[in-house]
Amino acid sequence: MSAEVREAVADLLADRVTPGALEAAERDGWAAGVWEPLHAGGFTTVGVPESAGGAGGSVAEACAVLEAAGAAAAPVPVAETGLLAGRLLASAGLALPDGPVTTGTGSVTLSDGTLTGRLARVPWASASSRIAVLADGPDGPVVAVIDPGTTSISAGHNLAGEPRETVDLDGVVPETTAPAPADAREALARRGALARAAQIAGAARRVLAVTVTYTGERVQFGRPVSRFPAVADHLVRIAEQAEMAAMAARSAAVGAGPDGEPADLDVAAAAAVASEAAGLVAAAAHQATGAMGVTREFALGVLTRRLWSWRDEWGGERAWSTRLGHTLAAGGPEALWPTLARGVR
Amino acid sequence: MIFDPTPLSADEEALREEVRTFLAETLPDGFRPGLGLGGRHDPEFTRALAERGWVGMAIPTAYGGAGASTVRRFVVIEELLAAGAPIAAHWIAERQSAPAFLRFGTEEQRQWFLPRIAAGECWFSLGMSEPDAGSDLASVRTTATPVEGGWRVSGTKVWTTNAHLNHFAAMLCRTTPQGEGDRHAGLSQLIVDLSADGVHVSPIPLIDGEEHVNEVVLDGVFVPDERVLGEVGQGWAQVTAELAHERSGPDRYLSILGLYRAFLDVHGRHPDAVTAAAVGRVGARLWTIRQLSLAVARSLDQGEAPAVEASLVKDIGTTFEQQVVETLRDAAGGEIDPGGPTMFDKLLAECVLNAPTWTLRGGTTEVLRGIAAKALTRGGR
Repeated sequence: MSAEVREAVADLLADRVTPGALEAAERDGWAAGVWEPLHAGGFTTVGVPESAGGAGGSVAEACAVLEAAGAAAAPVPVAETGLLAGRLLASAGLALPDGPVTTGTGSVTLSDGTLTGRLARVPWASASSRIAVLADGPDGPVVAVIDPGTTSISAGHNLAGEPRETVDLDGVVPETTAPAPADAREALARRGALARAAQIAGAARRVLAVTVTYTGERVQFGRPVSRFPAVADHLVRIAEQAEMAAMAARSAAVGAGPDGEPADLDVAAAAAVASEAAGLVAAAAHQATGAMGVTREFALGVLTRRLWSWRDEWGGERAWSTRLGHTLAAGGPEALWPTLARGVR
Repeated sequence: MIFDPTPLSADEEALREEVRTFLAETLPDGFRPGLGLGGRHDPEFTRALAERGWVGMAIPTAYGGAGASTVRRFVVIEELLAAGAPIAAHWIAERQSAPAFLRFGTEEQRQWFLPRIAAGECWFSLGMSEPDAGSDLASVRTTATPVEGGWRVSGTKVWTTNAHLNHFAAMLCRTTPQGEGDRHAGLSQLIVDLSADGVHVSPIPLIDGEEHVNEVVLDGVFVPDERVLGEVGQGWAQVTAELAHERSGPDRYLSILGLYRAFLDVHGRHPDAVTAAAVGRVGARLWTIRQLSLAVARSLDQGEAPAVEASLVKDIGTTFEQQVVETLRDAAGGEIDPGGPTMFDKLLAECVLNAPTWTLRGGTTEVLRGIAAKALTRGGR
């Protein structure tokens, strides 16, 4: 099932995420020509239950969409609308608003119906129709739905030119609020890290294709540079890291089961592996493609700038490795192997 | 291609539990784990394992095996390697030789060798490398000359693990002198009885001081016709098939499990952040690599032949193993003390001295990457 979803999204995006569309998205902060067909096809809300207004489907299927979106470098908030905000809203019994929806992290409180605090580096905040804010209410965590037009937003971007904005919420009155599950904050962070791992896996795979093609065509010393063992070595290491990232992300996603949430240990492992892979893949690809690879016109940069950004969003390799290490250590030496060998179910 | 993760079935999980229980009952308290496939040579352990049907599991029942799937065998060997169990006696016979007899052997060879391998009573060494033939296997110079009823084999093999303890080795020999044309032609595999006249085994001490690796001089050793494995002249195709098939198993990432467990033992359940990061870094990659290796095993059961993926997984696994030693050494701090009081001290010393071999045995990193690169650039994946 996941494979079909991946292919469908890849097909849909193939002609739409063009170099021109990517440049325009960086300039304008939005890519309607990419978003609209994805949204119309129901791909932006995979993983959000139908009862909450989503397209339904498992976390694994949502991650299949994200892998394909990552491979295409699609400059739209697919992860945010579905797996992140969409599931957050659903967990609080709220329906998904139409259009792009985003969410973020930060210290926010809700008191007397008014929000205080700010969200940092929110993806596509001003382009979204609504923002799902996880706030601390008087009786525990709450999800608040707000119109970005009612907030004060300051611009910001990641290395790939994707909007990452600061949203000031002081005095904002939400449209609706609902109590969130006690572990909503941790669950959101897990889905955030898993989403980025899936996107990294897709982008890494695409970097391999771009690099193999280029080094097979670029002739130096009378032969394609990919025939030189030192260059071929880069290709193999990119392939290995792409396999690692994909297996890690897919294992964590499949482990969530048909309608569950991904497990903490699985996400920690996947995020640590994918974050590390992102840097290794980007470095090897740039070395293999030489000066051409670092030009704005070549297809590599849109991918490597995303790899360098996504690996740290929702926590990088040290954060997740440390978390995983504490979990494994707490289980003691005898439980170490059985825990790691539990695999996917 | 990229593999999808594969779950273990309830049956496969139950088998895993059986093996764990067996190991808990069999290995003594304070057991010093071997480094994965570098586990010790223990005939008694091998026979106990064979009694449970866990040696030569993939051998069909008609030949005394369990007729088990690749994944069931994967489950068993993964547990054995994770425990550092003493598997050396049967390791090559069951991983390499039994599948070779099944693919290339005569009916008579299968009936003679396979039940003995499955019983844990017939142990094999490899017979490929020579002083002048390492990664370039086609340059082997050991020759087999036809004589009445068989062959006379002369030459020198090296790095022959446990040749002083094992019964047989499948020796790659030149049966036709190398001509102008295909240098891979004219090679054959002959099963040499290591106790035969003319076989001289002497140890090659390695940097860890151990003497389990040998030089084997073959001085006109007689091998009867019925001990030729497969077709005369097809040795190259046979050994490359053997290597590709068995590259990506759990032996490629579990050499460090004992060290990893011992590290956790030293640092307790509430380590500082730096220590936890090291534990997590190793754990994250181990969790992922075993899922890759399991996926290769599953695809073999589904009739696929993922030779390139297997090469990649081996390279990923063995490179990982070496990184683990460095990550844990750095996190532990201090000097390496082979005579130190903890299991971690002892295993760290052993790992540092053995780690260089992990990316050499079964095909060096450079050779594997060469194979993988060819497939990648041909668009073969």
